[in-house]
Amino acid sequence: MLAYTPLEMISYTGSRILEDNKIVFVGTGLPMIAAMHAQLTHAPGLGMIFEAGALSPVLDIGMPLSVGDTRACRKACYLKGLCAVFELTQRGFADYAFIGGAQIDMYGNVNSTFEGGSYIKPRTRFPGSGGAGAMAANCEKSIIIMALEKRRFVKKLDFLTSIGFGDGSSDYREKAGVMGSGPYRVITHEALFGFDEKNKGMTLLEVAPGKIPEKIQEKVSFALQVSTDLREMKTPTKEDLRLLREVCDPEGYFLSRKVE
Amino acid sequence: MKPKVRSKVRGVSNLKPDGIKKSGEQAFEWWGQSPEDARRLMVRKSRALVNKGVSLRAAIEKYIKDGINIGIGGFVNTRVPVAIVHEIIRKGAKDLTLSFQSSSICAELLAGAMLLYPDHLSIRRVEMAWWGYEVIGIAPLLRHLASDGMTQLDDYTNYGMSARFKAAAMGLEFIPVRDHGGSDMERVNRGKMVESPFTGKNTYLVPACYPDVGLLHVTAADIYGNCRIFGALCTCPEIAMAATHSIVTVERIISNESIRTFPNLTEIPYLAVDALIEQPFGAYPGICYGHYWFDMAHIQMFRSASDEFRKSGNQDLLKKYYEEYIFGCETFGDFLNKMPQETFEKIKQLDGGQPIILD
Repeated sequence: MLAYTPLEMISYTGSRILEDNKIVFVGTGLPMIAAMHAQLTHAPGLGMIFEAGALSPVLDIGMPLSVGDTRACRKACYLKGLCAVFELTQRGFADYAFIGGAQIDMYGNVNSTFEGGSYIKPRTRFPGSGGAGAMAANCEKSIIIMALEKRRFVKKLDFLTSIGFGDGSSDYREKAGVMGSGPYRVITHEALFGFDEKNKGMTLLEVAPGKIPEKIQEKVSFALQVSTDLREMKTPTKEDLRLLREVCDPEGYFLSRKVE
Repeated sequence: MKPKVRSKVRGVSNLKPDGIKKSGEQAFEWWGQSPEDARRLMVRKSRALVNKGVSLRAAIEKYIKDGINIGIGGFVNTRVPVAIVHEIIRKGAKDLTLSFQSSSICAELLAGAMLLYPDHLSIRRVEMAWWGYEVIGIAPLLRHLASDGMTQLDDYTNYGMSARFKAAAMGLEFIPVRDHGGSDMERVNRGKMVESPFTGKNTYLVPACYPDVGLLHVTAADIYGNCRIFGALCTCPEIAMAATHSIVTVERIISNESIRTFPNLTEIPYLAVDALIEQPFGAYPGICYGHYWFDMAHIQMFRSASDEFRKSGNQDLLKKYYEEYIFGCETFGDFLNKMPQETFEKIKQLDGGQPIILD
C-alpha cells in the first residue's frame, strides 16, 4: 500500500467529490489543493471562486496562499470584489462551498468564532466567519473539512458560525432566509460523511481501508448514522500523490503541515 | 405586541444570551455616521477637480480623530493600507471603531499599539468578519484582546461586512442579505431578522456601515484621485464611497489623460478621495497586484513577536518592532529603507509581472 499523509487523503477525497463543469467556492489551503487536483484529473471544467473577487482563474504561477492573493486572480474570467462573488452565490451560480472550522455538530453546523468562555469574553477566540458563513448559506452544497477528533465532532457547538441543517428541522434553512440546500459532505482522513435526506443527521458513508464504523464512532461525540451502503474510501494512486506533492503544493505550505 | 421575527437558531449551540447586546433588545446605535449625517457631510464637500496630493502626515493630522470609525481597505494581505496605519500609530488616536471584512497585519498593528501604548492608541470596538493571517496562522493580538474582553467585537460574514459598506455607498440605511440568519451571528450582531413586506418570508437585514475615514491602497490614480485597481477589488470601491473621507495611498500616479482614455477602468472616482499620497510599496509587507507579492518573512517576524507577547506576556520583542519600524521612522520611506534591497527585488519577482494598464 502506498504511504500517504492524512492531509493528502483529505485533499484527494475532496477532489474526488467535486464534479466536472461545476463551480466551487474555495477557501485557503486544502480546498484549493483539492480543487486543483480535480482540475488536473477528472474535472478539467471545474471553476473556482476566490472570495476577494476572482472567478475561474488559472492557477499557473503557484498555489495562492491567500484567497486575495495575486496568484488567485491569475487569468481569471471575471475579476471584481467580494460583493460580486458572494452575490454569485446568492443568485445560484456556485455549486459547492468548501469550508473548514474548529467544531462541527451532527447537523453540519460549524463553529469558527470561539471556544470556551462567553461571546464577550471567549477563552479561545478564532478568526471569525470570514466567508464561511456566507458560503455555507448560499452555495448550493457545503463540503466541510474537519480533523476526526471528539473535541471537534461535538454534541453542541460553542457558537454556530456557518449554517448547516440547524436543529435538523425541515424548514430550518428556509426560516433562516438562506438559499443553498446545505451540508453535503464532511471529509476527514479516516471517514467520509454525508447527511440523511429525511432526518438531516450526519451519516457515515465511507471508511478508510482497515477502519470500522465502531472506531469512527469513538472519535465522534454524537451518535452517527451508518449508510446501508457503507463503502471503503478510495486511496490516492502514485500519480495522484505526484500531482498533490509536485504540482498542487510543491512547496508544502499546506500538505506538509502537522495535523494538530 | 407582535412576536419577534427570528430563525430557529436559539438553542442549537451552547451560546448563552448573557451579555449579548442585540439591536432588537436595545436602541440601535450607529457606530459610524448615520445615513443622514453622512449625507449632510458629503453634500458640504467641494467637488473641485483639484490635486488631492498631500503628505501622509498632514492627511492623518487632518482626518484621524479620537472616537472615529475607520474602515480598513484591502483583504487579509492584499492591498492593505500599511503605510497609512503606520502613520496613524505614530500620531495616536483613542476609542477607535475599526470596520473591515478580513484583516491581517493592519488590524494586528493597531491592536499591538493599543496593548503597548494604551494611553496613545485604543480600539473601543471592531465590526468585522475575520481577523487572521491565513497560511501564516491565527492573529495572536486579536486572541489576546478578545480573551481579555478589552475590545467589543461585532461579527458578520465577509459578505455581510462588504454589503454593509455597499449599502452605505448606496446611501441606504440597511441592506437585505441571504446570510447570518440561522447562525449565532443573528443573535449577537447588530443585524435584524424581519418579515419580507412582500412575501412574509424571513429576511436578514444588516445596517449600513458609514466609516468616518476609509483607508485604501490602490494600484494607480491620477492627481485628482481617480483610482484604478488591478487584481481583486476586495471591498475598496465600496469603502471609499461609504466613508465620509478617504485617505488613499497609491503605488503610482498616472496621467489624467490615461484616466479619461479608459474611464471604465476607474474604480473610485475623484469625488470620493480626500487625500492622495504616492507611496510605492505602500501595502508592504502585503501584496499589490502587478507590483509585488507579500513578504512572508517580515509578516512572520511581526507575528512571532506578537505571539511571544500573547503567550508569555513579555513585551520586549513586540516593543522592539514598534520602536524600530514605526516610532523609529519619520516616514514610511524610512521603514522601507530598513529592508534589504533584495527583499524588494524578490517580492517584485514573485508578483510575476501581472499585466496592468498605467498609460
